[in-house]
Amino acid sequence: MNLTRVSAILLRHYFLSLRQLERFFDVIISPVLMIMLWGFLTKYVQGLQTETLAAFLLGGMILWLIFEKVGTDIGVNFMFDIWDRNLINVLSTPITFLEYLTALIIVSLVKLSLSFFMISLIAAVFYNFQITSLGFGLALFGLNLFLFATAFGIFNIALVLRFGHSIGPLTWIIPFLVQPFAAVFYPVSVLPIFFQNIAHIIPISYVFEGMRQVIKDGQFNTDFFWTALVLNIIYLTLSISFFAFILRRILKSGRLVKVV
Amino acid sequence: MTKNIVLEVKNLKKKFGPPAEEFVAIEDISFSLEEGDILGFLGPNGAGKSTTIYCVLGLIDPDFGEINIFGKSIKKNRSEILKQMNYASAEFTLPWNLTLRECLSVFGRFYEVKELKKRITELLELFEMSHLKDKPIRDLSFGQRARGNLCKALLNKPKLLLLDEPMASMDPDVVDKGIKLIKQIQQEEKMSILYTSHNMWEIEEVASNVVFINHGKIIASGTPLELTKQVLKSGASEPNLREVFIQLSRTKEDSSEPN
Repeated sequence: MNLTRVSAILLRHYFLSLRQLERFFDVIISPVLMIMLWGFLTKYVQGLQTETLAAFLLGGMILWLIFEKVGTDIGVNFMFDIWDRNLINVLSTPITFLEYLTALIIVSLVKLSLSFFMISLIAAVFYNFQITSLGFGLALFGLNLFLFATAFGIFNIALVLRFGHSIGPLTWIIPFLVQPFAAVFYPVSVLPIFFQNIAHIIPISYVFEGMRQVIKDGQFNTDFFWTALVLNIIYLTLSISFFAFILRRILKSGRLVKVV
Repeated sequence: MTKNIVLEVKNLKKKFGPPAEEFVAIEDISFSLEEGDILGFLGPNGAGKSTTIYCVLGLIDPDFGEINIFGKSIKKNRSEILKQMNYASAEFTLPWNLTLRECLSVFGRFYEVKELKKRITELLELFEMSHLKDKPIRDLSFGQRARGNLCKALLNKPKLLLLDEPMASMDPDVVDKGIKLIKQIQQEEKMSILYTSHNMWEIEEVASNVVFINHGKIIASGTPLELTKQVLKSGASEPNLREVFIQLSRTKEDSSEPN
């Protein structure tokens, strides 16, 4: 074995790590968030009845999937055109950016529908958990999760357009950045005050709080719904404005044709 | 009889980068392309050809100048204009994991091509690619991919076609066949083509007029024969764009004068 050649590979990855933000996320941010998530969950489950806990966890997981799938898929579907060096071919057609984004969102929605059906079926058959027991609230939870995920997806694409394809892997990392603060598996009250403040500005934290309330008391909290919806409208507006701003900039700087 | 102007580029200027590291990609370019003509757009690497093409496609905003296509500004009517245009470059591939037929079906929908299946069959036969229609793009050779790109570029029977080195990496036999096909289709459809290539023989074969740019400026223009006579200062009877290219590319920026 030639250690010089081995060190050449190490050096290459060192150089890449210096320049690639996603590697920093992979090495530090992602493990930190993971331990925070499971730490808060452990704190919460002490003293809970097993049956309720199972419903909270499975319900949380299924609803989280709606956000995660759509949030990552929009960016990943966009990345396919970059990996294929096909983006310029697509953008030189009459398609508008609005049409292109709409199509990406629809694709992720179709993929989500299939995944949602599958995991709901498995949860019902093997774990005796019916997600449909959330009733009409399920559709309203889904709407808020979908809107926030869409805002995320559009933001991701704007980042890739601005910083290039090397930042692409962030498209499937970023949704997990909000997970510890979104109260997916435990209530917001478990979090330290500072993190609670963060949770209050994340629309999907109201969705998961609302879900637990429906499972526990059978009550759909309309305040949670409207708060999440208003926050989502704000985030969508910000995300679309950011995208439009980046688009104007890259058309001016010529960066669009370099994203490939 | 005066022909219609299909593409008109007026005083185009484009700089990139922050003021301290500014790079002038296009200093001042004006040219036009008439209906049914093929304009060879030549210049060394980094001369500003691709930047100009991207400006024409509306993928780069120029700093100054106007681009009118079919009499309308590309900036204000991009989607409407692009319906009647198309573009091919060997630099960009069709979706890697789709078959050739699937790719053409996708792109045909972007252009709302009527009787799409029939059009795809016609083009695949014309480019002798019918037997490859169910092969994924990743399994095609460079030359086959470039021909696939040309099929894509002709799907909507464009009135204006932008070809940015479309035959790069094709062997001479395939280039020869490709050129004959492009000329045949161009004459049948009265298509206008802006054509860039580093293969001067290709340009001599297809272009009725040539614009030569360097350092973001037009430094010569005319028919291939006129350009040969003018630049080589000879009484040539045949165009020799290869020599013209070498001579003009080596001309220093400060001594170059717009034609």
